[in-house]
Amino acid sequence: MVIIPHLIAVGLYALAAALALAPFAGMRPASRPVAIGVPLVGIMAHAVGLTRLTPFHGVAPTLSMLALFLMILQAASDGLFRASAVGVFTGPLATGLVGLAILIGLAPEGGAGTGQAPGRSAWSILHITVSVLGLAMLALAFIAAALYLLQFRELKARRFGPVFRLFPPLERLDQLNHLALVLGFPTVTLAVLLGFGVRDGGAAPVDAAQVVWGMLTWVVLGWAVGVRVVRHWAGRRAAFASIASFTAVLLVYVALKLAAPGTQRFL
Amino acid sequence: MSIAVLGVNHRTAPLEVRERFAHDRREVAASLGRVLAAGARGGVLLSTCNRTEFYFAEPAEGVAESVWDLLSERLGGSRDAREYGYTQHDRDAVRHLYRVSSGLDAMILGESQIQGQVRDAWEVSKPHAGPVLHRLFQSALLVGSRVRSETGLATGTASAPSAAVAVAARIFTQLAGRSALILGAGDMAELAATCLVSEGVRVSVVANRTYERARAIAEGLGGGTRALTLDEAWEHFATADIVLSSTAAPHAVVTWDRVAPVVARRRGRPLCILDLGMPRDVEPAVAQLENVFLYDIDDLQAVAAQAAAERRRDIPAAERIVGEEVDRFWAWYGGLVVVPALKELRDRMDQVRSAEVDRVLRRLAHLSPDDRAEIEHFSQALLNKFLHSPTLALKAAAQAGRGYGMLEALKRLFGLDRRDDA
Repeated sequence: MVIIPHLIAVGLYALAAALALAPFAGMRPASRPVAIGVPLVGIMAHAVGLTRLTPFHGVAPTLSMLALFLMILQAASDGLFRASAVGVFTGPLATGLVGLAILIGLAPEGGAGTGQAPGRSAWSILHITVSVLGLAMLALAFIAAALYLLQFRELKARRFGPVFRLFPPLERLDQLNHLALVLGFPTVTLAVLLGFGVRDGGAAPVDAAQVVWGMLTWVVLGWAVGVRVVRHWAGRRAAFASIASFTAVLLVYVALKLAAPGTQRFL
Repeated sequence: MSIAVLGVNHRTAPLEVRERFAHDRREVAASLGRVLAAGARGGVLLSTCNRTEFYFAEPAEGVAESVWDLLSERLGGSRDAREYGYTQHDRDAVRHLYRVSSGLDAMILGESQIQGQVRDAWEVSKPHAGPVLHRLFQSALLVGSRVRSETGLATGTASAPSAAVAVAARIFTQLAGRSALILGAGDMAELAATCLVSEGVRVSVVANRTYERARAIAEGLGGGTRALTLDEAWEHFATADIVLSSTAAPHAVVTWDRVAPVVARRRGRPLCILDLGMPRDVEPAVAQLENVFLYDIDDLQAVAAQAAAERRRDIPAAERIVGEEVDRFWAWYGGLVVVPALKELRDRMDQVRSAEVDRVLRRLAHLSPDDRAEIEHFSQALLNKFLHSPTLALKAAAQAGRGYGMLEALKRLFGLDRRDDA
């Protein structure tokens, strides 16, 4: 039974999203234990459900895993950076991703749950996991950048509404963006290396689209990290770089998916 | 007799208008002297960044014209200050001042800075205030203290200086260790600097038009703070994280030309400029510079106003105190008016009695001295009986704060002279 933990997770993620959005609608913010506890319980239920989806056949487990990592990163951001506003993006996004995974079918034909799952090497599973984690970090960098630009706009425009009050300070969002990129780049690098290892070792079939997307993600993320670390971009310019990077990765993914549709591959 | 207030405040006039009405301490005497020449028994000018108000005791009819003319001149052009102004009389004027001093009428509900500003206004205007306004302003300070101590109206951080800290905290992760540059040596700058220092901000430079004053503040702040003149300060825009400006300059001193080349050297590091000056010290164009965040007094007060929302639940209790104190003052004021009026009434009636008794006694020349004394005694007793009820009623009305109204009726009924005509 993989569906029930996922349903619990999607419900709790939806609740977490509502709790994150409530103060922006003028409602009283939830207490901190509730605001942190609800997504954490969702993460636990989700993790239980996801482990039952190994060896991650098809796109649905990937979407589910991405949602899980996003929620874990949200919890980490809240705990380490007091950036609870990240939940404004990650909550609805994770809810949508898990919901989409459920709609697609968590165990597609020939996949887990049908009793006909083909084998997948541990290296292949690790490659998928690390790739999705890298992507989640790139998404977190995007979210931090978006929050930065929103807060920047409000501060420049001297508007002191909910964004001013509820978003973290500009500098903290910049630091979160920086950290997500700096940690995301080695993660994606490892994922790419694992991908080549899996392909060359013949542990799993890897098609050209996956190679193109993996390499593109690595190059784009490398550029975003490079401009921050080497050229010392910060603030608004760095935020735009992160948003451009994530958008490019997303657009290429959609393009590749349109060129080679299907739900069998994790890409 | 009456008390009146004429003025403008943050509700009736925008910042750019209030800037023009704002009076420096040195200007108060001249402005008060000019409007009091139109006739009044006392005047106080309260001028802050949020309000410019003239308080008068017993103003003559021409005083209001004089005030609006004065303010219209400061406004310039063909604009009329009346369109931004308001006038309140008697109990409403007293209530207005009490609400001001207690922070009920402030842009930031419960703001405590106004208490000091009311005290300053009274001190500066003392030579012109007269006994009634002297008492009124003394009592206003007591009302402010009472409201702050007996209600939660002053709790929290809803002042402009504390809002400055809140705004800076939305830009920087931590304020501790940041460096601040203070321009000007006004009270507001000093207050905001103290708030920032309490958050761990290091004031690296204090710059002022006069070096001596800058040095005095720098020494007060300690921690190796340097004192400079304003002209030496612009270079420090390259290194400071926070600039706090509150000069007494009549025009913007932080201009694009002065700081843009320096800010360009910051390599994108954010710079928070808090302009607490009145008129504003920082040219609005400076806000267009990349990663420069500029906030003026209105912005900070808007931020603080959010904190004030928490204080709103204490408004009824504060208004109740104000109401009690208005009654108390008005009873005193009414009594002040009633005592001489009663004396005048009694004197007038006694004159009538005496004249009538003399006339009667001239006709009754045959009466013995004892009889004449009896008639004299009778007339006095009769007068006392007649005046007993009105006297008691007037005193009771004065104690209840209605003496002024009763007095007007008395004057009309008995044709008493006005005190100010005497």
